[in-house]
Amino acid sequence: MEIIKKTSGSIAILQLKGRFDAHEVAPVAAWMQTQVDAGLAQVLIDLEGVNFIDSTALSSLVRGLKHCREKGGELRLCNLQQPVRVIFELTRLDKAFSIYADQATALAAFQNIE
Amino acid sequence: MKIAIVTTHPPGKGSLNEYGFHFIRFLRTKIESVSEIVLLVDELPGGEKYSIEQEPGLIPVTFKVCWKFGAWNNALRIRKAVRESNPDIVLFNIQFASFAGGKAAAALGLLAPWLVRQAGFKTVVLLHNIMETVNLKQAGFGSNPLMENVVRQFGNMVTRFILHADLVAVTIPKYVEILESKYGANNVLLAPHGSFTEPSSEMPEAVPAGPPNIMTFGKFGTYKKVEVLVEAFERLLPAHPQARLVIAGTDNPNVKGYLEGVRQKYARVPNMHFTGYVNEEDVPRIFGDSWAVVFPYTSTTGSSGVLHQAGAFGKAVVLPKLGDLEQLVVEEGYDGEFFEPENPHSLADAICRVIDNPERMLEIGSKNYLAANGLPITEVVDWYIIHFEQLLKK
Repeated sequence: MEIIKKTSGSIAILQLKGRFDAHEVAPVAAWMQTQVDAGLAQVLIDLEGVNFIDSTALSSLVRGLKHCREKGGELRLCNLQQPVRVIFELTRLDKAFSIYADQATALAAFQNIE
Repeated sequence: MKIAIVTTHPPGKGSLNEYGFHFIRFLRTKIESVSEIVLLVDELPGGEKYSIEQEPGLIPVTFKVCWKFGAWNNALRIRKAVRESNPDIVLFNIQFASFAGGKAAAALGLLAPWLVRQAGFKTVVLLHNIMETVNLKQAGFGSNPLMENVVRQFGNMVTRFILHADLVAVTIPKYVEILESKYGANNVLLAPHGSFTEPSSEMPEAVPAGPPNIMTFGKFGTYKKVEVLVEAFERLLPAHPQARLVIAGTDNPNVKGYLEGVRQKYARVPNMHFTGYVNEEDVPRIFGDSWAVVFPYTSTTGSSGVLHQAGAFGKAVVLPKLGDLEQLVVEEGYDGEFFEPENPHSLADAICRVIDNPERMLEIGSKNYLAANGLPITEVVDWYIIHFEQLLKK
């Protein structure tokens, strides 16, 4: 899986490409932990290039969401592809996460809260 | 957030007691989200009492005994106990036969989530099986086709009542599909079963010491029947005279005396051991000694806790070719050797493919270890907390 790290102001952005499963969770979880530990609790994960997600990967996002909220921030998602969106709907995690159509809309949502 | 959980819990021996135990064990650590846990549990026989260590750093837990397996008034008693406890969220850890072995009492008990919701409490049901996939005859609920049809109609009605909960969680994707398409439900979600043991449990890298040890684990007599396993074991004894068969667990509450009947019927079979109820502290040893964990099921009623346990201990499994289990194995990354249900020849062959081939045994064990430890139950608990928080925002 390809991982691209960026920032936009105080928002940490992670772009993922490929299969997001148990074997790929460690670097993503470590990155999220580093952001939260550094006080960057506003996190955006762009899943445009992800066509498969398993329960372990979903769980890493849940953990990230929890940690961000504990620090007063939020973890948002954008660009969900259809197979990934289906999994979020099946688990009803689409109700727990704020999900946006694209990066620009997601970043604007962060700005509105700030 | 104060959470009440309607569940069985050790030392109670009712179904799902282990799931309840592990779920609560990890829920207690979520101090950042949960303030108090009340367990709404069933009456214990012989004056036994519930107890749990209250440790600093863990969320306090209290037991409220408020229902009795087989009683008709469980739903009313549970609603009363919920009112007295006044929690923010009520979670039901149940399956179709949680409250009774008899059809009517079981159905009445399952009205509890609806009654609790009607009383104004946020209600979440973790439903471990659904009526549509239960073989009623084999689960002890359908003695003839007419009766089976009647039970199924009642089951559909009870399912509709359960679906009045705010959320209904199930552990198999197919269940979500069925509940949404058949009942038009829009409050059902998939929540992984999760692994009971901490990921730090070591993956076995060698075949356990001693003779081949074949083990089955559960509550037997309805759809989990050991006769086929005993007969398969008999067939492999000539080639493996030192092999042991361990039948770990008790009778299903609906079929009291079942295992004693098996013991008498197969008294001729050597090296067969019945452990009786396995205490939590003995579970690692029972699994650890096993070369193969066998699932002598004739049907399934949901995601198998035993499969997750076998995986968590890195064990090779021998499974029947049944829809739910096969689906779970594929979807969750498990591996195993398969046999034709109720066919001792096929089962003996499948067991031999494991115990005669240490490489394959360890390969299956390592895949199952990775699958089971991929998502420990502590993370599954986080999913529930996220859903609870979402509900409380409404």
